[in-house]
Amino acid sequence: MAVAAKSLPLRKSHAAEHDDPREHLMHDPRPRGEMNDMVIESMHSTTWKYWTATGILAVIVVTCLFYAWYYLIMNGLGVAGVNRPVYWGIFLVEVVFWIGISHAGTFISAILRVLKIESRRPFTRAAELMTTFGLVQAGISVFLHMGRVWLAYWLLPFPNERGLWPDFHSPLMWDFLAINTYLICSTMYLFLPLIPDLAMMRDRSTGWQKVFYRVLALGFRGTEGEWKNLHTAMNLFAFAIIPVMFSVHTIVSWDFAMATRPGWSSTVFGPYFVIGALHSGMAAVAIVLFLIRSTMKNMKYFLRPEHFDTLGKLMLMVSMAWAYFYFNDYLVPWYGGDKWEKILSTFIQSGPLWFLWYTMLICNIVVPWSVLWNKKWRQTPWLLAITGFFINIGMWLERYIIIPETLTINRMPFTWRIYVPNIEIFLTIGNFAFFFLLYMLASRVIPLIPVWEVQEGQINHTLRKVGKVELPTLSEMD
Amino acid sequence: MSSELQLPVFSNTTEQDLSGIWGMAIDQDVCTGCQACVAACAMENNIPFVGEVDAGYGRSMQWIRIERFWQGTFPEVKMTPYQPMMCQQCHNAPCEPVCPVYASVHSVSEDINLQVYNRCVGTRYCANNCPYQVRVFNWRDYTDARVRPELTTLQNQLNPDVTVRRRGVMEKCTFCVQRIRHAEDTADSENREIRDGEVVPACAQACPANAIVFGRIDDPNSQVSQMGLQSRGYKQLEELGTLPRVTYLNGESNNGRSS
Amino acid sequence: MSDSVTLLALFEDIDPAANAIEKLHDLGVGDDDMNIISGVPIPGRVLGRPGAITYVSRIALTGAILGMLFGLSLIYGIPFLYPLHVGGQAVYPVPIGWIITFEMTMLGLMVFAFLGLFVDSGFPSYTPKEYVPEISNGKIAILFKCESKDRKKFVDTLTKLGAESVKPAEARQL
Repeated sequence: MAVAAKSLPLRKSHAAEHDDPREHLMHDPRPRGEMNDMVIESMHSTTWKYWTATGILAVIVVTCLFYAWYYLIMNGLGVAGVNRPVYWGIFLVEVVFWIGISHAGTFISAILRVLKIESRRPFTRAAELMTTFGLVQAGISVFLHMGRVWLAYWLLPFPNERGLWPDFHSPLMWDFLAINTYLICSTMYLFLPLIPDLAMMRDRSTGWQKVFYRVLALGFRGTEGEWKNLHTAMNLFAFAIIPVMFSVHTIVSWDFAMATRPGWSSTVFGPYFVIGALHSGMAAVAIVLFLIRSTMKNMKYFLRPEHFDTLGKLMLMVSMAWAYFYFNDYLVPWYGGDKWEKILSTFIQSGPLWFLWYTMLICNIVVPWSVLWNKKWRQTPWLLAITGFFINIGMWLERYIIIPETLTINRMPFTWRIYVPNIEIFLTIGNFAFFFLLYMLASRVIPLIPVWEVQEGQINHTLRKVGKVELPTLSEMD
Repeated sequence: MSSELQLPVFSNTTEQDLSGIWGMAIDQDVCTGCQACVAACAMENNIPFVGEVDAGYGRSMQWIRIERFWQGTFPEVKMTPYQPMMCQQCHNAPCEPVCPVYASVHSVSEDINLQVYNRCVGTRYCANNCPYQVRVFNWRDYTDARVRPELTTLQNQLNPDVTVRRRGVMEKCTFCVQRIRHAEDTADSENREIRDGEVVPACAQACPANAIVFGRIDDPNSQVSQMGLQSRGYKQLEELGTLPRVTYLNGESNNGRSS
Repeated sequence: MSDSVTLLALFEDIDPAANAIEKLHDLGVGDDDMNIISGVPIPGRVLGRPGAITYVSRIALTGAILGMLFGLSLIYGIPFLYPLHVGGQAVYPVPIGWIITFEMTMLGLMVFAFLGLFVDSGFPSYTPKEYVPEISNGKIAILFKCESKDRKKFVDTLTKLGAESVKPAEARQL
């Protein structure tokens, strides 16, 4: 029988398989006036669902955060679950968690800007808002854990007649300087690209809103000098805030690494915490972007599957980096470290809280690795948001294991005791509610999309005919 | 096993007469675990009672605690020597550099670790960093008679030489620094050195077995120095390099290490 | 001395605006008499003009130096005035000096960059200025000074080049 010269089915040409470049935001330009109107419409259209959600969040914030905090201050830390040897509990977990979330904002608006990754353009401001509001929650959690919080101002270096100064030997003082630096600088970095959009809001509002935006817009017009100054300042910020971002979470990790506790005195904590911050932060950005896209009008034009794709790729890379650092931190005590570190590892993996460890590993490694490799899945906003949710659970548990669970084991077995959270549960719920409440209020006050940056990107992107296809082309004006 | 005194040279040491480097020796072979030292310390230093619930949750305020362990499984259970554990007044105290407000500083003249109650803001980093876990935190207003009316009459037993701490403040064993100061003042006014055995902290005073001995370890003739030089002597968690001022005497195997 | 008038020409796109600027150069309007206001940043060379000068970087550098001095004074000046011994650590710690100095340098750099923007651009300024709200809709406005007798010539030339409108610029409350 003759060899059946059966021809293989020809693969469809790649051109037909590739998505239409016009699906991308940068190649789907609309007149700036129309984009402005879309953003304003999304800000001004508030449904009963919005007000219900805001109302519920406000109630939770007032009861679970403000009232519970008042109760905590009046009655002392005894109402929390901390004891000997677990002197730091969920409050510190919250501090590290929220600072971690805040790093994603800087990563997106600074690092992606420096690397000229164009798909960052529509969501830099949403991410930067996460930074600012996350740092607010972290600051609240710092004040929550202090025994005499009304004397917190003693950490400020100010001259006084008694010659009392704070102790810079303490990692908590490095924390104080670093977190304040980061908070001040990222708020300024949020404000800088916001100025032109505030000018746009000013030009389109009336009444007291116009006064509000006029004051905040500082008289910005868009002259060459103003743009040059703004661009220079933004570039300086983008370059400068990246090392600050790395240093902040490293310094937070040194709160633990400088201690003599088994499980804490690890030299890998600096980069491990920074990657952990990016891990939980990028995951939170995915959740926030999904919520924005699905609940606010016209956001489907600005936030497209391609952005979630970029985010998903970053999340996958960071998840692998996190696994690398975690394995580093795990391997050394396992191999033949300190006797106490071995007892601690056994306690974490097979003690009464073993399920926390397994949940952490599943949420941080198994879930992202099994979902984020697939391009189609990465481009599905709700799937990315669910993945992000699990990653955040896993990262919260990671900090829980590092702080209260590790503190249970020390070199004096007589003192070992498990931590049982008490009022911290309410204050944690209040913290999360406050974050979302601030975000919901901000979404109606400032435009979440930096329209001028989107238009700038759209001007830079063209379609060029090469051979048989139209290829997206990026030019750089500056 | 002798302890080596390493006096680092600081560029800004305040010139002050060294009244003596204070240290302690605890003989675990004669300690009966009666906890008289715990009670005496609480009376001397105005340590509050935290109540049943908080004590069960690990918040009991004991500046000195007696640690009890056992070896083996029932019925072949063997008790190990009782271990009184109080602030070791480390020369390289890990609790000191981590306080953000200088509430935990080192006294250069007496070489003990000072806790400044009215400066403490309650971050509790010092307690996390103490390898001996001897620091105690005021979780609630345990001493306030307005919150706990049963304390009203007990206020008469407070020691006027010692501050009463409020909530949110860290505290720990001070080697009865009020008694050290009292002896220093007396010796100064009589123009002499402090005699060995003149300063007796509350725990040493109460111990019926004389297991706790206190004195100047820079004086080779003092009782505590001679006890510290015995071959039974060891320091707790010596490998951490904290240079503690308390020597434990234990004739058991493994150089008397408790764990 | 004839009086001069400031005209504001509004353009939709970059190319017509750049051509218009070249034409204005030909008609004798110097670069110093022109100002470009736009809704997106357009570098000067794209429009055929010298780029704007900014002092923000120099102000930021000053801030960085001030921040470094502040950080050094915190970590070494304070123990010099009020030495306290903690945990056997050096009274003048070197590694900690790096941390504190770095943070304060970056803080100084960024705060002064921010303030430098304010100073260099004259923010905040709420006096009436020449502006039209269409600029924040993405239009490009060319403000230029010309003799009032030549006004019609300029209006015609620019309208032929694609200007949406050429009007006298009026200073209005923003």
